[in-house]
Amino acid sequence: MTSALTEVAELADRMDSVGYLVDEGLATALFFAVRLGQPVLLEGEPGVGKTTAAKALAQALDTALIRLQCYEGLTASEALYEWNYQRQLLAIRLAESRGERLRDADLFTAEFLSDRPILQAIRYAGPRPPVLLIDEIDRADDEFEALLFEFLGEASVSIPEIGTFTAARRPIVVLTSNRSRELHDALRRRCLYHWIDFPAAERVARILRRAVPDAAGPLITSGAEFVGRVRALDLDKPPGLAEAIDWLSALSVLGVGELTRPAALRTLSALAKTADDRDTVTGALADLPDPAHV
Amino acid sequence: MTVVPGPVPRLLRGVDRAAFAAALTRRLRERGVPVDLTATGVFVRALATRTPTTPTALYWTARIAVVRRHADLAAFDAVFAELFADAALGTDPHARHRPPAGRPAASAAPGPPEPGGSGLPWAIRPTVVGVADGDAPDGPGVPQRLPSAAAGLADTPFEDLDAARYALLADWLAAALPALPTRRTRRRAVRRRGTRTALRETMARSRRTGWEPIDLVRTSPVRRPRRLVLLCDVSRSMQAEATAYLHLGRAFVRGTDAEVFAFATRLTRLTPALRRRSATDATAQATAAVADRFGGTRIAANLHALLASRHADLLRGAVVVIASDGWDSCPAADLAAELARVRRRAYRILWVNPRAGVPGFEPRVAAMAAALPYCDRLVPGGTFAALRGVVDEIAGCAALSRRPVTTTA
Repeated sequence: MTSALTEVAELADRMDSVGYLVDEGLATALFFAVRLGQPVLLEGEPGVGKTTAAKALAQALDTALIRLQCYEGLTASEALYEWNYQRQLLAIRLAESRGERLRDADLFTAEFLSDRPILQAIRYAGPRPPVLLIDEIDRADDEFEALLFEFLGEASVSIPEIGTFTAARRPIVVLTSNRSRELHDALRRRCLYHWIDFPAAERVARILRRAVPDAAGPLITSGAEFVGRVRALDLDKPPGLAEAIDWLSALSVLGVGELTRPAALRTLSALAKTADDRDTVTGALADLPDPAHV
Repeated sequence: MTVVPGPVPRLLRGVDRAAFAAALTRRLRERGVPVDLTATGVFVRALATRTPTTPTALYWTARIAVVRRHADLAAFDAVFAELFADAALGTDPHARHRPPAGRPAASAAPGPPEPGGSGLPWAIRPTVVGVADGDAPDGPGVPQRLPSAAAGLADTPFEDLDAARYALLADWLAAALPALPTRRTRRRAVRRRGTRTALRETMARSRRTGWEPIDLVRTSPVRRPRRLVLLCDVSRSMQAEATAYLHLGRAFVRGTDAEVFAFATRLTRLTPALRRRSATDATAQATAAVADRFGGTRIAANLHALLASRHADLLRGAVVVIASDGWDSCPAADLAAELARVRRRAYRILWVNPRAGVPGFEPRVAAMAAALPYCDRLVPGGTFAALRGVVDEIAGCAALSRRPVTTTA
């Protein structure tokens, strides 16, 4: 049983124990999201661990993760709630066949309501408040943001036919954005904000060691350093942490113990994601050791 | 709220939290970081939840509660460093190494406008533009006179225009917004001839008929205008045209979903500056934002910078208008490669060349010749009448059929 959080360091330790390394900034942001019940908006480059942070938070707090993936055209019926129309129609037919009279109130009850992620988070019945991840909010239309305001501000959802559902305990809300468009100020006003920076090389190494436990020590150090060098190159899509982890996993699956040129060439597809990038990174491979020529 | 009893922290001992938060946020607001009351309230609650004992903890508490956007981080760090510089070192390990120049995010925030700038480096004289922008001072006769006067001037080359006529033509241009090509979105709306039955609406309507669904309500996808991206060359060779193109950009930004970038040796995003209501303000801000106006031109390098920045996604499915004479100091092969990338992202590419209207014009400049295969249309842009033509071309560019480009440079 996990007790209430009292310290930032405690949250950092718990996240650490589920395999996610946090720095003080991110730990503070998540700590306040938990303690103040305020939604937190995470921004940062792609592949820096925004979504994983929310997942790890749910795991660290030993509670459920409810996820809402945003996309263009997302509406209230996919995010908040929807009536089960098929069941309503069946109920009408049934009432007809029995010769009963149906009133509005009979058709719009909780029985016919299907919860979508946000209402699920509000009506969640578990022992601890759930973590609701609203992923890539910038991919939804800007009109959709307005749908979230009531929920983000008051942790409630109003359904005209029934009334207002308010969460008994505020769910922990994590929003992520890739900044493909500017979010509305009204949304930002309701959230805490944290920008996740790409970590320095030795931190990358620590994260990699945690994420790919099978990889050899020297491979991780040189791999982290090489990823840092690749990021400094002029690339169309610089590799993020996610790519670095994929690449290291690929190398360790191949049983590579030390970073060499042929091994890196074979696993390049995990690191370079466009044709131009592949050429550029291949050029940068030249200074890696090549056992064939030693 | 119960605060865990323990040793009283040294950092904020005896400090009135509310007064401290109010003072800090006022200081931040003075420095241009927008902090609202909600954020101040959150900050006080955060301080009460966990009293920071080190400057680092205080830094993170304040930053997470108060700052809402990435662009404000630099200003926040500066204020915080000023206030607590002697408290201790090492506030934020990440923020202290500022983002490198290649990442425009933090540095791209437009600074506060310089009050009373001494004259505009563009071709406009500020006093005269102010007249055209404010209330018409010449009495009631002016509004009737405007359209015909503007239309008469429309064919004059930019070099021969004075500032007053410039302003007149800019307004005339703003009145002619393009009907942009549209794209289908995933959002759906009720349409009589829709392709899909909408259960929600059908059920709502069947209430009128005793829950018997007689009217089937149908929906179809909503269409939305595409984004417009204007890339405006402000180098020396484009000195005469740059102001006119900025006015065109302002008309786009204020009327549609458009983005405007200016480039000479480096790229500047002008959209926020041009969105201002007054034309004088907008051009003044844009002028202040562009540090390298009338310098050399590096079209390929600037396209590369745009594609590497976080604004690269803006090009996806957009109508891209490049306004330049094609004099490029980068190799033509580079330009071709970058344009090929832009073409893969964009919906249509239109190239506006001020010289293209001259009789006997041929795209002989190496860069222009290399760029042409990737452009859907080369449009002249030497006069305001030609710019009206650009607006028409944008409206009609959906009809242009696209052929695959096989030339590899």
